[in-house]
Amino acid sequence: MSVEEVSQKVQEVQINDGATKTTVLSDQSNFEVKHPLNTKWTLWYTKPAIDKSESWSDLLRPVTSFQTVEEFWAIVQNIPEPHGLPLKSDYHVFRNDIRPEWEDEANAKGGKWSYQVRIKSADINELWLRTLLAVIGETIDEDDSQINGVVLNVRKGGYKFALWTKSEDKEPLCNIGARFKQVLKIGDDEKIEFFPHSDANGKHHQPTITL
Amino acid sequence: MVRYTIEELLQLKPSEALTPNFDAVEFRAMIEKVKHLQALKEEEFGHFGHFNRRRSSHHHGKPKVKHTKPKVTIDSDGWSTFEANKKGSGDEEEQEKPARESAPQPTIAQETIKVKPNNKNISSTKPADAKDIVADKPIQSFNAFAALESEEEDDE
Repeated sequence: MSVEEVSQKVQEVQINDGATKTTVLSDQSNFEVKHPLNTKWTLWYTKPAIDKSESWSDLLRPVTSFQTVEEFWAIVQNIPEPHGLPLKSDYHVFRNDIRPEWEDEANAKGGKWSYQVRIKSADINELWLRTLLAVIGETIDEDDSQINGVVLNVRKGGYKFALWTKSEDKEPLCNIGARFKQVLKIGDDEKIEFFPHSDANGKHHQPTITL
Repeated sequence: MVRYTIEELLQLKPSEALTPNFDAVEFRAMIEKVKHLQALKEEEFGHFGHFNRRRSSHHHGKPKVKHTKPKVTIDSDGWSTFEANKKGSGDEEEQEKPARESAPQPTIAQETIKVKPNNKNISSTKPADAKDIVADKPIQSFNAFAALESEEEDDE
């Protein structure tokens, strides 16, 4: 369903209700009706460790959740963009209450498409926003809800984008990977890699698919 | 399933910032605090980093080893005497042993070895002080041989 169809439906409901309700399209600040997303999403943040005593569970915290397009924009407009994050920070946006950990039941049988941007001059803020929009808009995964979440790691060597999936099925993963490359504006000369979570504990964590 | 393309979602972006459903001010303040602490650490430990700190001997320069200058005393006649540095406690015993073994040797011979002329003609063949060299020679040769010969004769 497109945004026009959703807006039209909302208007039909308004006509049936006999009341005039405003959307963000008609009034930017005082709108009454919001555009619903397919599912609820939760934003998580990993704080860089300042003290050695801080554990992973202390550092990874949910920030907030959103279920509509308007709520999503309200959050994005009020949090630092990737360029404004300190080193060793992570942003995670995951579906419903899935934790951004490979041990989570929903992630355990899946994996992640991974791509690292090493060029500092690349517009990371724009690429991260495009990835978020493709994920919450569900256009990166047309057939089924394979996507569990999306992660951004801010590191000294660059920014790492990862698309977490719920399975390791090669066919749907290749379709998702191809769209992920389009979203990140990656050319044919560059590759993205898929790493299954089942090998995450291994010493030589090798990609099973390269695209 | 509700779907929105990237372009559609961008169309729905409000021009004015909306109020989020969480305390964004506190979140941004926490991130700024982390950035500040990271900057302080970077400043404190420089480009080597706290956890990658190496031993001082791994720096590019040579390690600093303090050498004490040898002590040279000059007497009223202009003779300078070199005094060897005393070693640490571990070497004291080894240092003492050769000293005891050399104790029976004539004291005159020791003095002549230590003494060096403090003269600008030190590298030339010209004697630094003709009087002193003439005086040393007969004393050294006389005392050593005369003493030994006289003892052997007495025993027989």
